[in-house]
Amino acid sequence: MYDKILTSPLDQFRILPIFQFNLGFLDLSFTNSALTLFLALGSFLSIAYLIIYPALYLTKADGIFLVPNNRWFLLIENLYLVITSLLFDNVGIKGEVYFPFLFVIFVFVLQSNLIGLIPYSFTATSHIIVTFSLSLIVFIGVNIVGINIHRIHFLNLFLPSGTALPLAFLLVPLEIVSFLSKPISLSVRLFANMMAGHTLLKVIAGFAWSMMKGGGLLFLAHILPLAVLFILVGLELGVAIIQAYVFTVLACIYLNDSINLH
Amino acid sequence: MLLQAAKFVGAGLATIGLAGAGVGIGTVFGALVLGTSRNPNLKDELFRIAILGFALTEAIALFALLVAFLILFAL
Repeated sequence: MYDKILTSPLDQFRILPIFQFNLGFLDLSFTNSALTLFLALGSFLSIAYLIIYPALYLTKADGIFLVPNNRWFLLIENLYLVITSLLFDNVGIKGEVYFPFLFVIFVFVLQSNLIGLIPYSFTATSHIIVTFSLSLIVFIGVNIVGINIHRIHFLNLFLPSGTALPLAFLLVPLEIVSFLSKPISLSVRLFANMMAGHTLLKVIAGFAWSMMKGGGLLFLAHILPLAVLFILVGLELGVAIIQAYVFTVLACIYLNDSINLH
Repeated sequence: MLLQAAKFVGAGLATIGLAGAGVGIGTVFGALVLGTSRNPNLKDELFRIAILGFALTEAIALFALLVAFLILFAL
């Protein structure tokens, strides 16, 4: 059975139905991917309501409820601070109304990345359809915001001000290509990072496992790839957090482009 | 058989793209060291920008990996 689990490093990305459900020829099964997405969405709310709410309630009786009184409270306040400073650095005061959107994007990507690091769980963000949907939401939303504010002047996005006319023929196609590749690069970055990292972990783990099965001296030597695996899990933890941050930073930058033009 | 061999060769060749990413990541952190040694007060701010630059450069390296995977498994 264990042999079967470790046959292919890409097996971990397979989407399996938990509840089968077919509507005509449409397959609407509840899959492990959907389960992970729901968990990622729900876990932050659970932390917020189950841990902070009672804490708030308890300290309110003492009259000092503005002071963070436990570590979860501190964690959530720090997340708020990180996203707020990100938004104000990149977009400025005009971006304040978009704080909830960016906060949810950050928390959602972060949680689905982190849930994927639990052994035998499923990484929702390692599928391009999930990340592409997310980046398409950002892309379409940002364009709607831009067009709403600038109307026809939104086309200034494709031509930096003060460009000479001959240069415009070169710049406009370039700007259009870079504009259209925004959602693709945003999604592929997250997806490729997650998939590559998890494949690497599985490859090293399979390597250690086959050394362990070799017996004798090889059995002793399998400590080495296991140590490498241990370090790589730490690296993956970093990558999971950094990629969620980068996703949010780039969403901020796109938002800034369409609010303030350039 | 020949196709299989060509796939492996192609996937191996796709990893040449990693050379560029190596140079890029080296440049990012080299610049971070230089910047920090010139003005240690800016360390935190520079580190944040460097991490962003690192992630962007690393993503380019992963495009090469993606191409390798496409050649191996999707074609």
